[in-house]
Amino acid sequence: MNMTVAQSAAVSSARPMQPAGAQREMPNAQETAHEKISVRNLRFYYGDTLALKGISLPLYERKVTAFIGPSGCGKSTLLRILNRMYDLYPGQRADGEVLLDGENILSPKQDKNLLRSRVGMVFQKPTPFPMTIYDNIAFGVRLYEKLSKAEMDERVESSLRRAALWNEVKDKLGASGQSLSGGQQQRLCIARTVAIKPEVILLDEPCSALDPISTAKIEELIDELKAEYTIAIVTHNMQQAARCSEYTAFMYLGELVEFDETSRIFTTPSDQRTQDYITGRFG
Amino acid sequence: MADTSFPGPLAGAAHAAPARTAVLNRFRLGNLLFLNLTRAAAVLVLVLLGGVMVALIEGAAPALREFGFGFVTSQSWNPVTEKFGALAPIYGTIVTSLIAMLIAVPVGLGIAIFLTELCPMPLRRPIGIAIELLAGIPSIIYGIWGLFVFAPFLQTTVQPFLISLFGPIPLLNAVFAGPPYGIGMLTAGLILAIMVLPFITSIARDVFSTVPPVLKEAAYGIGCTRWEVVKNVVLPFTRVGVIGGVMLGLGRALGETMAVTFVIGNAHKISASILAPGTTISATIANEFTEAVGDIYTSSLIALGLLLFVITFIVLAIARYMLLRLEMKGGK
Amino acid sequence: MSNANPFYGRRKSRSNLMMGLCMAASLFGLAWLVMILAALLWNGVSGLSLDVFTQNTPPPGSAGGLLNAIVGSLIMTALGVVIGTPIGILAGTYMAEYGAHGKLSLVVRFINDILLSAPSIVIGLFVYEVMVVRMGHFSGFAGAVALSIIVIPVVVRTTEDMLNLVPNQLREAASALGMPRHLVIRRIAYRAARAGMVTGVLLAIARVSGETAPLLFTALNNQFGGANLNGPMASLPVVIFQFALSPYKDWQQLAWTGALIITLSVLTLSILARVIASRSRQ
Repeated sequence: MNMTVAQSAAVSSARPMQPAGAQREMPNAQETAHEKISVRNLRFYYGDTLALKGISLPLYERKVTAFIGPSGCGKSTLLRILNRMYDLYPGQRADGEVLLDGENILSPKQDKNLLRSRVGMVFQKPTPFPMTIYDNIAFGVRLYEKLSKAEMDERVESSLRRAALWNEVKDKLGASGQSLSGGQQQRLCIARTVAIKPEVILLDEPCSALDPISTAKIEELIDELKAEYTIAIVTHNMQQAARCSEYTAFMYLGELVEFDETSRIFTTPSDQRTQDYITGRFG
Repeated sequence: MADTSFPGPLAGAAHAAPARTAVLNRFRLGNLLFLNLTRAAAVLVLVLLGGVMVALIEGAAPALREFGFGFVTSQSWNPVTEKFGALAPIYGTIVTSLIAMLIAVPVGLGIAIFLTELCPMPLRRPIGIAIELLAGIPSIIYGIWGLFVFAPFLQTTVQPFLISLFGPIPLLNAVFAGPPYGIGMLTAGLILAIMVLPFITSIARDVFSTVPPVLKEAAYGIGCTRWEVVKNVVLPFTRVGVIGGVMLGLGRALGETMAVTFVIGNAHKISASILAPGTTISATIANEFTEAVGDIYTSSLIALGLLLFVITFIVLAIARYMLLRLEMKGGK
Repeated sequence: MSNANPFYGRRKSRSNLMMGLCMAASLFGLAWLVMILAALLWNGVSGLSLDVFTQNTPPPGSAGGLLNAIVGSLIMTALGVVIGTPIGILAGTYMAEYGAHGKLSLVVRFINDILLSAPSIVIGLFVYEVMVVRMGHFSGFAGAVALSIIVIPVVVRTTEDMLNLVPNQLREAASALGMPRHLVIRRIAYRAARAGMVTGVLLAIARVSGETAPLLFTALNNQFGGANLNGPMASLPVVIFQFALSPYKDWQQLAWTGALIITLSVLTLSILARVIASRSRQ
């Protein structure tokens, strides 16, 4: 496994790799996973600035895909396209295609609220709403479902259990969500996302504001959640990407440099820039 | 840790999706309604200003037609002969506001400098709040205080002193000509000064705090004294904002009504002496509007209101423009 | 060592002089506040009695109270706030949430700031023209409308400022649950900005409860009680104005007492507003 840079370069040239954006037949079809989301030739503009320069990659169902790269490489931008969060701001637009189960979510006909109820998101900083723990979760559920009190109680409990938070908060569901610790708040946000039964969960550097113990808890949680959800996680932390994900995309300056199985990215990357990044030469 | 009874996303999606689409139309409608409701309210603010303009022009039209441009140049204000000219109130408004600004600007800036540069930290908030409370006191309170406390005090002490002090000096003896009435333009100007002081102070304090600390530190670093830092760094950096704050205070002083009405003396004449009674635009309206008989009289008073509105609008617009410029500078 | 340099010494004493003047200016400013409050307490407290709150304003030369004026003020202020607050909040919401960078918001923001410091007597003239003249008589309702026009800009300003303080992350997090924009605003942003918005309304109440000029020719005055909004209505500030300028000692005393009542309520409101605002910041 201990390859020199030269060796790894040799390996990568031996394995014919198309340049960024054309890895559609990639990676090896060992388990022919369904493509939950297919990003095709995606470009993104902040005003006149081109921030994503034609990205293509798949997100496989019930797998964790990690996005790594130096700050400003566009990985968060890409994530925010997948639930059209960018639409909240004027002057930002995307072209190309993002297919969710074959439907182009960039189409103007796509209802953004519906999309966001199917593609949940957890943010860098914990964002509990200014209301009770119970309502933090029930609130999103009530938007799309009419549940009886008993059903709602059950939903709140099961979501909090899923987020491994139930035991810590079950006696104070009426307390403000903002009274929890940072790590608990982040798990509350995950519970809130899970409660509305999305199909995809986007995690935008979910641990960067947390201490190591909370981080470990969240990573454990991701491992459990992937049994049922398609997960995309943006992270600055390469160990985290290596630990949590099946697939990794390395992005640099708005381009997708390399997309592959995580094990391969971290052992035998095909691109020199990926190699440099994961060995800590820049970023 | 996971609860196995939790239905998976696929199971959920199958039954949830149609239900979700059902609520989407409600969402879209709700958003459209709320957007337009808020937009209508925003437009209403514009309509209000436009409405004030239109209503005043309409009300003032008879007087303006009757007197034309002479309305602002004539001094006569005679309800009996129905001849009205606004020169005396305009003069009074300008003189009282000028007195107010002469005092309030240096004092207000001084307080702001004290609060941002000198004051010990634990005292900053209470003093700042006290100054702002001064701004919250309704103008009628200043009026009653001015009439019963301040004016008698001026009449018995300050004014006789001023008259005897400047009596022998040509020109100045006309400005401070007796007798000491207590009420008059000087008193009104002084009360206005107290009233606009907090506005100037709080805006100056806000703009002073926009000076980047590194700039000040750099100046201290080369051995500047506190005053040199204020004079050479803080004031030049915030000049535009300070002017904006001063204009805002001026706008207040020009339009202030009740406090002035109590102490101005309500005399329709132009006197060189600032100790003499006079009148201002707003005081004239407040004093005479309900008693005005005849369309021309009422219309002339509304024309005064229009004049006041236009003047303050211009002053305030300049103030806001200045403050906006500083804000943009700070933003970049 | 540097004191040995005469040039530096001069600079230093000059600086000390200017700083001393700044401190003197602060004392000067605070002295007015103390003097005004002292005069109010001195002259106002002696007239405070139960009668002030139970009797109507008296004819000249006899004893009475301020009941009708207090009731009128409360009614018109409440109505003015009830009319002005929703409009102000909605307009502020548009500027902060929907059209933050749009042309409309830019213009409205500018105009609103001007209305915020426009002479209130002009508002009185405006309402006189559009309501009193048209209805043919003075009315408490016209007074309330005039006050609401003063409330609106205050509430617009604080609503916009407070909504701008709500972190965008919170809006994004709510949107990420599939929440439509209007619910994000009403259920999340309003809730997060609630304390600040309440502060704005309190400040608006404080502002209008002492307003006199806009009531002079809209609500006029009413010697007798009565809560008839369709007729002339008494208010504390207007009664103070009339009584203070009268030659009668009884009336002047009532004016002082009324002034004390107004000032205490206004100061209480502003302090309360500040307490709420600083609590919410923590």
